[in-house]
Amino acid sequence: MRRVFALGENPVTTVLAMASIGSGRLCARVQEKLCQWGQYTRREAYSCVRTKIGSQTAPRVPQERQNEKHSQSLAATAASTVSAGCWHPCSRPEIAGTARSFSTMRTQQPGSLPEYQIDPYHLLEDDLKDVYIYIRDALRRGTYQDDLYEIATYYFDGHGKAIRPMVAILMARAINYHIYKEKSGLLSSQREVAMISEMIHTASLVHDDVIDQSDFRRGKPSVNVMWNHKKVTMAGDFILAVASIMIARLRNNDVTLVLSQVVTDLVQGEFMQLGSKETENERFAHYLTKTYRKTASLIANSVKSVTMLAGADEQLADVSYQYGRNLGLAFQLVDDLLDFVSSSAAMGKPTAADLKLGLATAPVLFACEKYPELNPMIMRRFQEPGDVERAFDLVHKSRGLEQTQYLAKQHCQEAVRLANLLEESPYQKGLIVAADYVLNRMK
Amino acid sequence: MSFSKLSSVIVRRKCLPAITVAGVNFGNRKTFGTSNTLCTKLAQEKKPDWNRAVSEAEKIVGYPTSFLSLRWLLSDEIANVALHLRKLVGSNHPLLKTAKSLLYNGKNNMQAWGLIVLLISKAAGHSADIPELEQDKAAGVLHSQRALAEVTEMIRTSHLVHKGLVNLQAPLADASGDMMFGNKIALLSGDYLLSNSCAELANLRNQELVELMSSAVRDLAEAEFVGPRDKQNNPLPARPRSDIVEYKQFTDKTLEPLVVSEALGNARAEWTLRHVLNAGSLLGKSCQGTLKLAGHPLELQEQGYLFGKHLALAWQACLDREPFLPNVSGSFSLVSAPVMFTLQHDPTLYEEIEKGQESVDDVDYEVVRKAVLTGPGLEFTKKLQKEHSTAALEVLNQLPASDARTALANIIAAMQDL
Repeated sequence: MRRVFALGENPVTTVLAMASIGSGRLCARVQEKLCQWGQYTRREAYSCVRTKIGSQTAPRVPQERQNEKHSQSLAATAASTVSAGCWHPCSRPEIAGTARSFSTMRTQQPGSLPEYQIDPYHLLEDDLKDVYIYIRDALRRGTYQDDLYEIATYYFDGHGKAIRPMVAILMARAINYHIYKEKSGLLSSQREVAMISEMIHTASLVHDDVIDQSDFRRGKPSVNVMWNHKKVTMAGDFILAVASIMIARLRNNDVTLVLSQVVTDLVQGEFMQLGSKETENERFAHYLTKTYRKTASLIANSVKSVTMLAGADEQLADVSYQYGRNLGLAFQLVDDLLDFVSSSAAMGKPTAADLKLGLATAPVLFACEKYPELNPMIMRRFQEPGDVERAFDLVHKSRGLEQTQYLAKQHCQEAVRLANLLEESPYQKGLIVAADYVLNRMK
Repeated sequence: MSFSKLSSVIVRRKCLPAITVAGVNFGNRKTFGTSNTLCTKLAQEKKPDWNRAVSEAEKIVGYPTSFLSLRWLLSDEIANVALHLRKLVGSNHPLLKTAKSLLYNGKNNMQAWGLIVLLISKAAGHSADIPELEQDKAAGVLHSQRALAEVTEMIRTSHLVHKGLVNLQAPLADASGDMMFGNKIALLSGDYLLSNSCAELANLRNQELVELMSSAVRDLAEAEFVGPRDKQNNPLPARPRSDIVEYKQFTDKTLEPLVVSEALGNARAEWTLRHVLNAGSLLGKSCQGTLKLAGHPLELQEQGYLFGKHLALAWQACLDREPFLPNVSGSFSLVSAPVMFTLQHDPTLYEEIEKGQESVDDVDYEVVRKAVLTGPGLEFTKKLQKEHSTAALEVLNQLPASDARTALANIIAAMQDL
């Protein structure tokens, strides 16, 4: 990809510039892939209201009126959603609506609105404080053996970013507000899903550490350095088992199905990481699918689950799913970017780790458009002496980092657009800030 | 049984056609007959009774499970694993041994676990309000029960594969490339099976069942933490205690974790605890779950749990006796029933056991064998097996007579005759 992603220009021009990128094989594939995921279409005006949850009944009339108003304001966006759902830097804006929605998006670009002073972590302070305590309680109740408990809770020390539970609770509260207005609180089942998402994530971290033989995570020795690998593996299985018991206790068939998909995706993503593809465009599609499975699926499906638990209809569930998917993809893209630019001290784990593991992430894949000599290195998984250093330099010389950042930004903007479909509330604003945070985080 | 499949890919390529050729159509569900049965037979000809009991039982419920179905053969991940596993041939990573033993180790054969679940399903029948569409008439079980039997096998296989990792914890390990790679493949394959069982279970849309089976996975993980361990996490018996504690299991609370500390040091209690966790729980809960799927009342479901648990323990006791038969040599598990009973009888033997704190290989197995052969351990183990077999048969006798019930009784009897 020799063309430069034009940053900060007139948005329409940018889109056109993007679309005209000559070496479009890559782009075409990417677009195809994204369209495949972003299948959701919305032809009718937006309405996803149910009035009942348990015994709570929301006042009907004002809500409907509210809804009408809501759908009007959304009509323009919704009309363009069909194509905008598949929107991607590489796609051509075929109808004016896309451009309009894009320019709308520009004004809502993460970080560009000064009134968004909401800090999701502050907003959810109480909720999040409890999450780790409840997780440790759940694991404590799962075993009488102290060494198992100790390994299983090692990463639940409250020092993680807790991005998954944060987003899940934000979405839960935003959706509850969207449907039930003031009469909404966090359901205990939704909080459970927030916990479960962090537990599934941690179980996969624990197994990753054994596979990758990492040394540090979150600024402390990683779990495989501390204990017997066989016990560590079993502790990972244990966390997953306790999480599935919790899922089962929600007694909701659909939520169980959605969350079991997450586990399948995680493992398949890990398998994809074992192999690499020969050609460039295959490689990028492979990378994006892997990224979805390893990171985005968990976030997307947990926010979908909390939305389903609120009693939302399919359309609304899909809005949250797409929000989570975009946020998750952006999150991982930024993660891959930070692996090249951040210091080990800030990350709490070694940098250029992906290269050392033989993994070619977005920055490298973008860079090899300009520096084809990266191709053989990718194929041999950076195993020859000097490969890692050389690839590292080439990535920095190319525009790979910028392009990765840009792609992440697109996904964040799409996430913001989706968040804006929800009724305005502090939590809905929090979802927008979360996208900003994902994009601009330093660790 | 993906691993048997894998090893058959590697070890015995000629078995592969057998898998595809043996495809049989049961109802609307394609089930593929097992090259496994074939290979096991080749390897196990010396124990005809067992094999006859199992292979006749297989006929009763159609081929045991769909684990070897076409979608396994065609799955990307499995093809991937097979490819990587081939790279490991020649290294001494235990994953290969695990793969092989899944195929050849007659009595410990995973297929038999799914088979038991299907047999008890058929023997118990199902409630009248199950729609016809959900029944596999030819085999006399429900499609959901067949899926559960498959889940049972996947969970068990996943656990064995994870157990077969090598501890590469620095600094003691020589983390050579092969070993790291083998661990990676073993861990991922186990996770793959586990994630598949999650998905299969979710598809059954029965949350009580999901809860039950998840608790079985938890128990398996817990099993690997019981008692002292060497550097490779091989179990050592706890120091024998003089006060005898009776091991109790609360059948009404099968979802709760088991209390560990009280059982340690008491031969019978410790042995039972270990093997309920690493075998009895899974088989028991699978049998309980399959009766749940069939719509049986709670009391019968609990009987199902007891049947599976006792059968697994009888089975384990039988396996534990094998290495001490005349003309058998080599190593054996230090937490097998004969060893633990012998320790209880003569606590001074624990000095020998303690040599294994770094590695169980440092124990002089001949010394322990001699002590076992001259002590009362084997006799106690035989009694233990008898007790569990009888308990399992008692549950069985509450069910109406049927070919499936007879088959289960035959399997138990074949175990007894060892």
